[in-house]
Formats: sequence, C-alpha cells, structure tokens
Amino acid sequence: MKTSFYKLPEEEQMSTQRIKAIILQELYITKHSLEVIIDLFYFSVITIIVFGLVSVYLSGTNNPLSAQYILVGMILWEIIRVTQYSISVGALWNIWSRNLSNMFVAPLTLSEYMLAAMIAGLIKTGIILVIISVIAAFLFRFNILNIGIVNLLLAFVNLTIFAWSVGIIILAVIFRYGQRIQALAWGLVFLFQPLTAAFFPVSVLPEPLRLLAYVFPPTYVFEAARVALINPSVNWNTMGISFAQNIIYFLLSLWFFNYMFNKSKDIGQFAKNEG
Amino acid sequence: MQNNILDVKNLTKTFGEFTAVDNISFSIKEGEAVGFLGPNGSGKTTTIQMLLGITNVTSGSILYFGKDFFKHKQQCLQRINFTSAFNTLQGRISVWENLIVFASLYSIKNPKEKIMNLVNYFNSESLLNQRYWNLSAGQKTRINFIKSLLNDPELILMDEPTASLDPDVVDKTLSLIEELKDKRNLAILYTSHNMNEITRICNKVVFLDHGQIVAQDSPLSLTKRIGSARLQITFDGDKEKLENYLKEKENTYSFIKKYIVVIDTQEKDIPGIIFGISKSDIWITDIEVKKPTLEDFFLQIARGGTNVNSKN
Repeated sequence: MKTSFYKLPEEEQMSTQRIKAIILQELYITKHSLEVIIDLFYFSVITIIVFGLVSVYLSGTNNPLSAQYILVGMILWEIIRVTQYSISVGALWNIWSRNLSNMFVAPLTLSEYMLAAMIAGLIKTGIILVIISVIAAFLFRFNILNIGIVNLLLAFVNLTIFAWSVGIIILAVIFRYGQRIQALAWGLVFLFQPLTAAFFPVSVLPEPLRLLAYVFPPTYVFEAARVALINPSVNWNTMGISFAQNIIYFLLSLWFFNYMFNKSKDIGQFAKNEG
Repeated sequence: MQNNILDVKNLTKTFGEFTAVDNISFSIKEGEAVGFLGPNGSGKTTTIQMLLGITNVTSGSILYFGKDFFKHKQQCLQRINFTSAFNTLQGRISVWENLIVFASLYSIKNPKEKIMNLVNYFNSESLLNQRYWNLSAGQKTRINFIKSLLNDPELILMDEPTASLDPDVVDKTLSLIEELKDKRNLAILYTSHNMNEITRICNKVVFLDHGQIVAQDSPLSLTKRIGSARLQITFDGDKEKLENYLKEKENTYSFIKKYIVVIDTQEKDIPGIIFGISKSDIWITDIEVKKPTLEDFFLQIARGGTNVNSKN
C-alpha cells in the first residue's frame, strides 16, 4: 500500500552489514573507474594547483590576503563538491549498470542506502581534503590549519551536511525524473559557488544576491574562514547559524527525497529509470 | 499439504486514468513454477515490479509466506530473489566483488564459502576476477543466477531470464532452472514470451490481458481449451472426390500440395474424418495431427479471441 510521504516507506531495522555492502561497492567502483578518479582526485588536484598559482600571483599585489581567500575558499569548496558528487553520482553508476533495482529488491532500506552514501562521500572527501591540503602546504606554503583546527572541523561538518542536503535533493530529482536530468549531478552544485561567496567576501555580491547568500549555510562558513585567517578564534555565532540552517536543509532534503522516491514508485518511474 | 509462498489478492495499479493491473488474484505454492504470460502491455512487468516493491500498488494485498509484504518488506525480501535479462549487476566491478556486495546485502553468513559453493556448482570459477561488463550474455545469466541464489530463496521471480540468449545457452539455462526447482523445491514466477519455455518449466500458467487474468490453469489444460486441431492428410486417389467429401461435411481445408490436404477441425472429430475419407475410396498414405499449443492459446488471447473457454 502507499505510505504517507512523511514516513519512511519500510520497516527500518538498520543493518551495519548492508551499510558496509553499499560502502564497499562505492569503494570498488571508485577503484575501477577512471572517470571517478578524474572527477574527484584529478580535478581536485589540478584545481588546487591552478588556484595556488593564481594565489602566488595575487600575493604580489596590493592585497595579498585575497590570495589566501582564494586558497581557503578552494580547499573548503572541495568538501561540498566531492561530497555532493559522491552521493548523486554514486546512484547513477548503478542506474547506468541497471543494477539499482537489484539492490532495492534485496532487503536494503532507503535509510541504509542514504546513510551508506553519506559515509562513502565523507570518506572520499576526507582523503581528498588531506591530499589538496598537503599540496597547498608544500607547493604554495598555505596551511589550511591557519584558520584553526576547531574552525576547520566546524567548517568541515557544516559544509559536509550542506553537501549531503544538495546531493540528496539532486538524487531525489533524478529518481523522480530519470536520467534525462542527470547532468544536475555534476552541474547544479556550481550554482552555489558564487551564491555562497566561496572565494570572495559577501560584500562583493550585488545587494539582492547578498541577501540571498545568507540563506545558504556555506556563506557563513566561508566568511568565518576568511576572518579566521587573521584571527583564528572560533566564531561560534556564525558557525552556529550555519549549523542551524544546515539542520533545516538536511531535514527538508530527507523529506523531499522520501516524497520524490515514493512519487517515483507511484508513477512507475523508479523501475523505468534503468531504461 | 503445500503452503502458499505468495498470495496476491485483488491487486490493482492505475497510472492516472489508465489501469495497468486490474484486480488480479493468484497464488504460488511451495515448489510450484508459475508462468506469467500475456501480450506486451498486459501488465506482467508492472505486476512483477509491485511484487518486488519497486512500484507502489494502488490497492490490493501481497502476502509472502503469509506475511503482509507492505508491513514486513525486509523479512519478505530476505526470503525471495529476482533475476532478469534486463537487470544486470554492476558492470564496472568484478564478478567476485559484485557477489560479495550482494552477499552482504542479504546478510549471508560465511559469504565467501557460500559464493564459492555456488560458483563451483555453476562452473563459473574462471569468471570471478573478470569485470561483469566483459562477460558474454550467457555468462551474465549464470552470474545473475548465482546472485539470485545467494540467500537460498524460497521463491525466485524470473523476468524473461533467457531473453537474448543463444538457443544452446537457453537450453542449458532451462535445464539449470529445472534442476534448481527439483533439488531445492524452489517456487518460481516465470515470465517469458517463449511458450515452449513456459510449457517446459511451469506447472501452472497465469494469462494476463489488458491488466486482467483471463486464464489460470496448467499448460495442458489451457491448450485443451482450444478445441481445434489441424489434420494433415497425404492421400492417393481422386482429389475431386476428396474435396466433395470435405465440402459435404462442411470442413475447412486447403490443399498445400496436389496430394496433401490440411483440415482445420475439432480434436474430437478427427477419427470420424479419417474414417469417412477412407470409406470414400481415398487411399490415405500419411496422417499428421497438429494439436494446439500454449502458443496457440497465447495468440488467440493476444488477437482478442473470445472462444477460449475460461474457467476463471
């Protein structure tokens, strides 16, 4: 029978074994796929090198701090990009292989799948963050820890939760409308790059966009990180607003995903997704 | 007494104004193989998708092992499995990796041992380290079967498992299914467009048309519902005389060669026709009777035949 949209559709007995299975599959796919390695590792490394070189150039100008803004923004932005990519594209690998149905006709619950996808994203992001931070430190003498360990940790948590929300919303739309809008999995997140003022102060944005920027949790994180380059004490207020917004976004994304997933099963789209 | 593995009652699925599955009811017992047949668009696939929980139902109930599927989805899915020519495993990773993932999804104890036992049974050891997308269609079918047996299911839903396979591989696959059915007392729900496969595998056939069950019986009983048969007679004698006799008896016939006539008649009338022709000084040299097959039944339904004597 139909389940109401605000409840999870299955009896939810979480199994760590099934969560591990999905994470393991993600690991295997990443290991075997040149596309994933390029989209995540290669892209991140090249980006940090390019932005690092730009920062070297800018450090010789009137405002050397702007060079550091770009690097801190770039490193933190990768948390959003990689986590969101991992969640959205992770499901697409199985849709392209016509394997998603096989997985959901096993006793896998939606919660287990989502949790596994989030953990897999977290692992990949953690690894990439370490790699690009080391590159920034050794090649461009920029230490991300300059913003303070607690600030970095809070930024990581906030940006990860935001990326989960965006990834889950994109996944919901893909499940509902099928592969024809799969480009969102790569492209949509970049909309937030200017809107959250990732590489420049919010004051640079035109007035209407400035107001809009504060609707998104990463804006507070990027602002706090830029301030922390000068004064690494923790701005709990800013990070707290970001976290509170994130909780709302995250809950909304789960509700939206559940609603769209059920809608997709109602109209038969979920089964058709694999063509 | 055999228990019901699956009970479907008054299952209905509508997409807007369109009714894809219309109030169907059927059941599958332990060890029973049920063929699910019908023309394209008859509602077979939608029914299977509802039985697997990947499409929501509009109304009706599905019970596996006496348990409500909608309330005990995980428990039910743990005891059944699914294989299809249209769903494959993850192509980028190896066969072994795929099987390890699915063994974990089904919470199999000693997954490596379980996989190796099945791999040995299916003679597929050499495929383990290959990427799934590099396998041939026949090899993929074997691996899909291994995946579908990982949890020792009591029921497997098979959606055209032999589609796009070579005849030789089809035969091997069918032998395998027969063996699994007998050795494991496995219940099967089998969809196919190939009537010979259904006749070979299934004890019971459920015929769907326009979302409704139009017949539900054993393959033999279904073919018996078509009373007509085709009688081919090779003769030696006066063709005109034979033609006059057939006209007099109001038979439908056609001469496919000068001395070979094909007569469409009722199965019960065949002895009378042969006797009558013999008495007309026509020398019968050969007789061939073509009985109706499940395919004839299928075609009759697919073409909107109304003279199928339905029991349901």
